[in-house]
Amino acid sequence: MTTIGAAGTKEPRPVITLAMGDPAGISPELTARLLALAEIREAAHIIAIGDRRVLDEGAKVAGVALDLEAASLDALDRASTSRHVFVDLAHLDPADVVRGEATLAGGTFATRNFRTALELARAGNADAVCFTPFNKKAMRFAYPGYDDEIRFVADVLSFTGKVREFNVLEKVWNARVTSHIPLKEVASHLSVESILAELELTRACLKDAGHDEAKIAVAGLNPHAGDGGSFGMEEIDIIEPAVERAKAIGFNVEGPLPADTVFLRALKEGFNAVLTMYHDQGQIAMKLMGFDKGVTMMGGLPFPLCTPAHGTAYDIAGKGIADVGASREAILLAARMAKRKKALAAAA
Amino acid sequence: MNETSGGPIALTMGDPAGIGPDISLCTWALRRSQEIPPFLFIGDPSVLFERAKALGETIQIRETDCAGAAAAFSDALPVLPIRCPAAVVAGQPNSENAVTVTGAIDTAVRLVMNGEATAVTTNPIAKAVLYEAGFRFPGHTEYLADLAEKATGAPTLPVMMLAGPKLRTVPVTIHIPLKEVPAALTPDLIYKTSVITAGDLKRRFGVAAPRLAIAGLNPHAGEGGALGLEDDAIIRPVIDRLRAEGLDVAGPLPADTMFHDRARETFDVAICMYHDQALIPAKALGFDDSVNVTLGLPFIRTSPDHGTAFGIAGKGIARPDSLVAALRLAAELAANTAGAPR
Repeated sequence: MTTIGAAGTKEPRPVITLAMGDPAGISPELTARLLALAEIREAAHIIAIGDRRVLDEGAKVAGVALDLEAASLDALDRASTSRHVFVDLAHLDPADVVRGEATLAGGTFATRNFRTALELARAGNADAVCFTPFNKKAMRFAYPGYDDEIRFVADVLSFTGKVREFNVLEKVWNARVTSHIPLKEVASHLSVESILAELELTRACLKDAGHDEAKIAVAGLNPHAGDGGSFGMEEIDIIEPAVERAKAIGFNVEGPLPADTVFLRALKEGFNAVLTMYHDQGQIAMKLMGFDKGVTMMGGLPFPLCTPAHGTAYDIAGKGIADVGASREAILLAARMAKRKKALAAAA
Repeated sequence: MNETSGGPIALTMGDPAGIGPDISLCTWALRRSQEIPPFLFIGDPSVLFERAKALGETIQIRETDCAGAAAAFSDALPVLPIRCPAAVVAGQPNSENAVTVTGAIDTAVRLVMNGEATAVTTNPIAKAVLYEAGFRFPGHTEYLADLAEKATGAPTLPVMMLAGPKLRTVPVTIHIPLKEVPAALTPDLIYKTSVITAGDLKRRFGVAAPRLAIAGLNPHAGEGGALGLEDDAIIRPVIDRLRAEGLDVAGPLPADTMFHDRARETFDVAICMYHDQALIPAKALGFDDSVNVTLGLPFIRTSPDHGTAFGIAGKGIARPDSLVAALRLAAELAANTAGAPR
């Protein structure tokens, strides 16, 4: 197990770097709440990264008292693990934060925190990375090439492998074959190979999360899953053959199933994940099944990367009413996956 | 509900080999406990009789017409008889009986158009079975629209609505391949669908000032063009036009964040760009209680939100929930329409 921490002490909990997200939203108060939760302390050792003044403002809003070990980046190995660690980059004066506004200052703050968190994991100082919500507009001010988290992570880590976003609710995961592309391009992105690759990654990530015999449902593309070819041929030409090939290599998978009921069936019939063909096919149902409790997990990286599925919630920032549930689930999932990944690696 | 209506709801038989007869019987049996509005079953009484026997039910059936339906309803299931030419076997559709299936629909439309019935509720049909008999329409709804056009002489654009207890959605495009959706989304179609929906919400649903939420097409409603152009290029100008005409319209909204509890409080109907964008939230929020309503017709038409389910016909396991909801909604819409200025 990881041996970061005071001289030679064994740290049984996975180490997770937690990047403070957009300072104009609920990220500061969420970060403070997370660092104060007993449940998180039991599951993980956190190295939080941000500005202490901004964090303290968040703690005030959240009404929590923080007991943190201060450490600098070059002295992390000497920091105690008896308390969560805070790395104060001292790069944002709270006076420069305007609540509810996406700014260059906010984007610069969040991108630097995130980059630092990722680099620590790459250097082996952490087993997983989490972050509180970013504002995409602010991220783009600070990093003009910012497309989404996946792209940024790939840039920072010079990672060329396949990274995919999974949406995770307690009962069911959602993986998707296509994501942030125009709807009219979806059909042309589907192939037997692309669907099989998603199924493989989904099964691997579910395994890291503790589901050894994952059962996966595959959605159709068209209304009523094409209704036997009446409303589109992709089910017959692409999705069915992909599902058959997956079954042939030992996957527990079913589909294509009509998209309007696939999640209801998944819950009823105990599927661990639903593979959807496009963004909103999964997102509409997932958000209705637990909008505030969802977690986004980026699979395929050398380490788990998790964040709450919700956004910066500018409308309620600073009011102390933000629900920490999704952020807590994000850290608990990252911790579970990191622990399992290490156990599997140790056994191999 | 008798006092609010001038006549019964005309309930079509649907495919006699499907679950239509089963759920019609079950629904009538629930007339007291569930306060089912009086309906007149249009179809073959012997199918009902045989199906009741198969289900182990004893049932009173009375052959009558619209005028006699309400009086009969508490004691017997009122039927306007149209007989099937061929034997009916539950679960085994026969295209020889297609003439009765469409005949029941024709009759229901005639009765509602001449004011004898207050609304039409249709049991499910199987298109493939009708096609074998020469049926030339894409579906039930288009057939009803054609009958309406013939009756009124005015062009009719039928608009499908899914109405559940928590959400109403209207898909602008319906049964077409997903990849054909962007090309099918013309400003004219989105505009007409929205206007018909707003009009019917006012006239039939009793919503004085309907609030429409119009979904975008692409992820995050296109995110300013980064994820697709239709949201800003096609949908937004329609929204501007609808607003200029005084309608309360929001959008284009990202489809994944417009259906949660707080968001739903801000609108009366969601106008969706494609089938599953409307159906996924509708089913997630009310699987058994969702009703299909066809807007844009010169009469009220509702139908249960499921198919013929041949596999379970005659087995006593078909749930009547959606037909119950369809009949109730039809009665409610009829009462609203009767009270509304024309």
